Amino acid sequence: MNKFSYFCLSFLLMSFAIHAQEQSAAKKGHTNTNKFKQLYDEFSTPNMFRSASGAPGPAYYQQQADYEMDIVLDDKNAKISGFETITYTNNSPDELKYLWVQLDQNQRAKDSKSPLIETSGVAPVMFPNAFTKEYMQEPLERGFNILEVKDESGNPLQHMINRTMMRVELPKPMKTGDKFTFSIKWWYNINDHVMEGGRSGYEYFPKDGNRAYVIAQFFPRMAVYSDVEGWQNSQFWGRDEFALPFGDYEVNITVPADHILDGTGELTNRKEVYTKTMMERYEAAKKSFDKPVLIVTQDEAEAAEKGFSEATKTWKLKAENVRDFGFATSRKFILDMMAVKIGDKDVMAVSMYPKEGNPLWEEWSTRAVASTLESYSRMTFDYPYHKAISVHAKQQGMEYPMICWNYGRPNEDGTYSDRVKYGMMGVIIHEVGHNFFPMIVNSDERQWTWMDEGLNTFVQYVAEQDFGEKYPAALSPEDKHFPSDRGPAKMIVPYMGGDQDFIAPIMTKGLNTYQFGNNAYGKPATALNILRETVMGRELFDYAFKEYANRWKFKHPTPEDFFRTMEDASAFDLDWYWRGWFYTTDWVDIGVKDVKKYYVSDEPNAYMKKIMEERGIKKKQLKPLVYLVEEGSEDFKASMKKKSLLENSKPLQDYIMDNFSPEERKSIKEPKYFYNVTFEKPGGLVMPIIVKYNYTDGTSKEVTYPAQIWRLNDNEVSKAIASDKEIASIEIDPNEETADIDTSNNSWPRKTEQNDFDQFKEKIQG
Amino acid sequence: MKLVKILLLVCTLSFFSFSAVHEYYISLTQIEYVANKKSVQIISRLFVDDFENALRARYREDLTFGGQEETENIDEYVERYIKDKLTIKINGTKANFTYIGKESDIDIVKCYLEIEGVERIDSFEVTNKLLFDLIEEQQNIVKTKINSNQKSVILIPQKDTAVLKFN
Ligand SMILES: [Zn+2]
Repeated sequence: MNKFSYFCLSFLLMSFAIHAQEQSAAKKGHTNTNKFKQLYDEFSTPNMFRSASGAPGPAYYQQQADYEMDIVLDDKNAKISGFETITYTNNSPDELKYLWVQLDQNQRAKDSKSPLIETSGVAPVMFPNAFTKEYMQEPLERGFNILEVKDESGNPLQHMINRTMMRVELPKPMKTGDKFTFSIKWWYNINDHVMEGGRSGYEYFPKDGNRAYVIAQFFPRMAVYSDVEGWQNSQFWGRDEFALPFGDYEVNITVPADHILDGTGELTNRKEVYTKTMMERYEAAKKSFDKPVLIVTQDEAEAAEKGFSEATKTWKLKAENVRDFGFATSRKFILDMMAVKIGDKDVMAVSMYPKEGNPLWEEWSTRAVASTLESYSRMTFDYPYHKAISVHAKQQGMEYPMICWNYGRPNEDGTYSDRVKYGMMGVIIHEVGHNFFPMIVNSDERQWTWMDEGLNTFVQYVAEQDFGEKYPAALSPEDKHFPSDRGPAKMIVPYMGGDQDFIAPIMTKGLNTYQFGNNAYGKPATALNILRETVMGRELFDYAFKEYANRWKFKHPTPEDFFRTMEDASAFDLDWYWRGWFYTTDWVDIGVKDVKKYYVSDEPNAYMKKIMEERGIKKKQLKPLVYLVEEGSEDFKASMKKKSLLENSKPLQDYIMDNFSPEERKSIKEPKYFYNVTFEKPGGLVMPIIVKYNYTDGTSKEVTYPAQIWRLNDNEVSKAIASDKEIASIEIDPNEETADIDTSNNSWPRKTEQNDFDQFKEKIQG
Repeated sequence: MKLVKILLLVCTLSFFSFSAVHEYYISLTQIEYVANKKSVQIISRLFVDDFENALRARYREDLTFGGQEETENIDEYVERYIKDKLTIKINGTKANFTYIGKESDIDIVKCYLEIEGVERIDSFEVTNKLLFDLIEEQQNIVKTKINSNQKSVILIPQKDTAVLKFN
């Protein structure tokens, strides 16, 4: 054999594993569509405001809005009025000619355009009251009545209202560092949130004639001015929530004297509004770390229900560095509290609920609040405020700084289903968790719902699992852990595998998404959970996630700040993950396509025989080579199965004897079985291939091939596996941790599963 | 009381009153074609309270699932409702299914249905409108296992039908 043909042969051997590439007739170029391409086109260029690392840049700024407010609740007429003084500080490098103030209540106004952008159809069956409301009644008087907008000296300020946004003209432009103080006088009719919907309002209790108020987005609030949006004055259509600057609040709220009230901030006149008994119980609650202490008992609340006091009381609240203010008030409220240690601080976990919430609420609300603060503090930063309140409001689940409203109402006889119980615990954990995202890590909810809902739902999952471990008594007997419905990978499968016409990428404004809950809550939460558990591992993920939370607490992050920080703090290139999971609607589907088993032989196999024939090479011209023979092929002999590797190949044995010392030969591996495993990827998402090899001796081994295995072929890859044990079966993603939408191709040999249909049919029909 | 509550929720809350978190309105229907039995086996799982409210709104205000208080002939109503709301077409023709029965499992009702004498499936169309008449946010998950293909889809009021083709 001449040198040249030997060279050709080696070349052929080298290229053995490379697929033949077919060239199509019409050859065309293309741009870089590789799924591992960096996100330079999607991301904006880092600048002095926001660094490439994902941290706030050296010129990062944010505006400040401080409020002083006097609020009066007219319980008889369900009206609320206020006088507020806003001091706005321009920390931006820009000169501002006008300010934008948000009037969220106008979304409920008669002339609101929100109903007009809804398509509708005739329902086949309706209850008379719903029918009347839809087709026969005039819309209710709702929305803000703005009585005056004035500067500090009482001169009216020119202003213009465009639906839910009010532009206030400045007497002279604000320069960097300037402060401007102005006041607004307003009132509105409060909505019945049970009948009319809405994130705030009142619930009416016909049996005792009382209302329970949960009041929020109730005052004209400053819009955010930032380096990324300028003024964030995108209208409030009702879905996409809020973008708000930080500031300090001093709020006096006047309500009927027999009401129990709490809200955002420190209660500065507790001694004036609490009775002596309440003060004593409050002092006891501050020392109770294991169970809640009732400040107002159910008996006391039931007695108060009958009061309808004509007198009033003013509750004074003061909050520093919060992005919003909310409160709840009713004479129906039972109140309990317990203390929870966060870092070196004692925080009060608080619940307020009408008797209709019991027995569920007295048992679990405050404990859920405390447990949530611990879990979130561990995952992010120590909860910086002094309290967190959970208020029971029917059908609500909504968050404000230090206070939130939550659903979960037992039946009238006090019984409740698992769905109500877990729903209540889950929503409390979720809404209390919102203190971290977006109340403190203050992302723009109006534009990016997923940034607060997705991140929060992800941590909610962690906190729910903690809660179940901490309080096994909270779980039903058949549950071993808290049955979270968002977070675990397999829960998102029906959504991601669903009809593409009704799925939008996560990176879509909430208003324009289909299946809002899956899009903005479920999928991002699952994406982060998979990133943590499967792609990065907890150690790398948790450090980076914490870094993001700490970099951006009390600031305004964007999606890029999150994406960049996660990579910056972990040395984990995740552009492919963000691109796939957040910028597309692709799904995961990875399978094992084919498995071939080989033995080693010293006889030329069919492959070589073909080459020999083509080139006229004689057997004796061949240098010693190791041939791999597929089981069942014409070259295969049953005897190969019984022999060891070296017995099957003389050239290999000779090479080892000639080149390794007896000492070295001891540590040499001698695999007996050789497999060519081909993996396929019908799904568009690139993901690690998690493979479990089960051996005939009953043992198994799990191997994860990083996602980058798909970088050169997005459809199919193969692996040569040398093993001293025989493989009995192969499973892909054995623990269902990747959200693989079709598991029928996940095993070799293909599995057949049983369902419980026949069993039931037999039981019924005998 | 409860009935009124749910219906109000359904009819008066458009998606604009979507709070930060809401309750889940989901059903799961598993459909499997067992070729050697020529049988399409269907199991639908619905939340008891939602299902109860749907039946009450349509048929009788006192219908109740589960335990001692279960309405005696509730199966008739279940069958009527399901046959009204679930439609299956095999190879382009509407298929009749037999209602085998139902069982309650804490919060969930499982309904068993079967289509018999199915020689082969080239195309399969499922329309699932369960609870759409009552709950605007209802999502019906349909999982199919037909001719060794597995599919999961979510059906919503705007898109209540899924079509699968197998050749
Ligand atoms: Zn939320």
